[in-house]
Amino acid sequence: MLCEFDYLAPRTMPELFDALAAGGPDARILAGGTDLLVNVRAGLVTPKCVIDIKKVSGLDGLSFDAKNGLAIGAAVTVNQLAEEPVVREKYGLLVACAESLASYQLRNRATVVGNIVNASPCADMAPALLCYDAQVVIASRQGSRTVPIREFFTGVKKTVLAQGEIVEKILVPLTHAGGSGAYEKLKRIKGHDLGIVGVALLKKDGLVRMAVSSAAPTPILVRDCKAGESADTLAQAALQAVKPIDDVRSSKEYREFMVQVYVKRLLERV
Amino acid sequence: MKITLTVNDQVYIRDAAPSKNLLHFLREDVGLTGTKEGCGAGECGACTVIMNGKSVNACLVLAPEADGAVIRTVEGEALNGELSPVQHKFMEHHAVQCGFCTPGMLMSIRDLLGRVPKPSVHQIKEAIEGNFCRCTGYQQIIEAVLDVTGQLTKDNKGELRHV
Repeated sequence: MLCEFDYLAPRTMPELFDALAAGGPDARILAGGTDLLVNVRAGLVTPKCVIDIKKVSGLDGLSFDAKNGLAIGAAVTVNQLAEEPVVREKYGLLVACAESLASYQLRNRATVVGNIVNASPCADMAPALLCYDAQVVIASRQGSRTVPIREFFTGVKKTVLAQGEIVEKILVPLTHAGGSGAYEKLKRIKGHDLGIVGVALLKKDGLVRMAVSSAAPTPILVRDCKAGESADTLAQAALQAVKPIDDVRSSKEYREFMVQVYVKRLLERV
Repeated sequence: MKITLTVNDQVYIRDAAPSKNLLHFLREDVGLTGTKEGCGAGECGACTVIMNGKSVNACLVLAPEADGAVIRTVEGEALNGELSPVQHKFMEHHAVQCGFCTPGMLMSIRDLLGRVPKPSVHQIKEAIEGNFCRCTGYQQIIEAVLDVTGQLTKDNKGELRHV
């Protein structure tokens, strides 16, 4: 590592908040480490203290109940989610997005919550969570608040999280569970890669929900559409929602074009 | 800080800086240099080891996170001087060229065979998706895995074919 830092592994939420308060802006939360340690190595962040949340009691929980749906704790890994039978049965789109994220061994460490908190426009878990109307439970020493995921991202790598706050868990309600969903992600190679553009589509009870990654400053949710609407109308709806840029991986025009192609392909798949 | 690790059934207790990653800890403090560093950023898989039963990129694990963990590295493949069945098949199928990716490949394959005893070609490809072979010898690696899981047979010309 290029910088030296202290390592803390609190066991309880109060201990975690104490560590966060003591560390201030020089402290960084460590969950899977698959973003943080890459950024440390690149010199993009230089924490004085790293706070590992994996030993905090309660944060490793992945649970489902028939009334409230799924709860994904901050330490739950992407593979843990994707391999959970109830998730595979009721939240197929979460599994599709999870399996497109990086490589198998990386998914053994990367957490679902970390993917969201990192707030990359290309976050693979975001499109599924947007389609399912997930709720983000944010905790701090003062208490907790819940924010719908579509209001959680505020810009490239920016979220509503304030100093001293952490995402404790993500709740995925049953409203759109059980629908037929799929994710298409354009990459430079067939193996693991960052997305050039990604489209998730979820169809249930005559409703079509779509979300797009890598085509705006944040992952975005498209307006609700009806299953009866034509493929062209749905593709247009997605196109109107996105605001892609030109960058090293693709041009703006190509992203706009592929968003529409993927909407049409996904409609045939679900 | 003091870190206790079980690597390939042997316990190691070492002092290390908390900001040291597991890869450097294994190579520099434990002295097991079989695990390689390629990109150091979780892309190439050269540093893949098995930690508490799951394959991980050792470059993205901090040594203190691995305190108390049970680790398997490529050095744990051979037993009493005898190569493991997968290592034998790697030799037979020329699945090793420069050899730099091999330790990580072997760990990803060990993890795969623990989950899926008879993997399909697609499953093998997915399992080594996070392991780059820059000699591009993927086909030989896939064949070695097919062979070790009894999925290759010789046709009448003596050529190996997928069952």
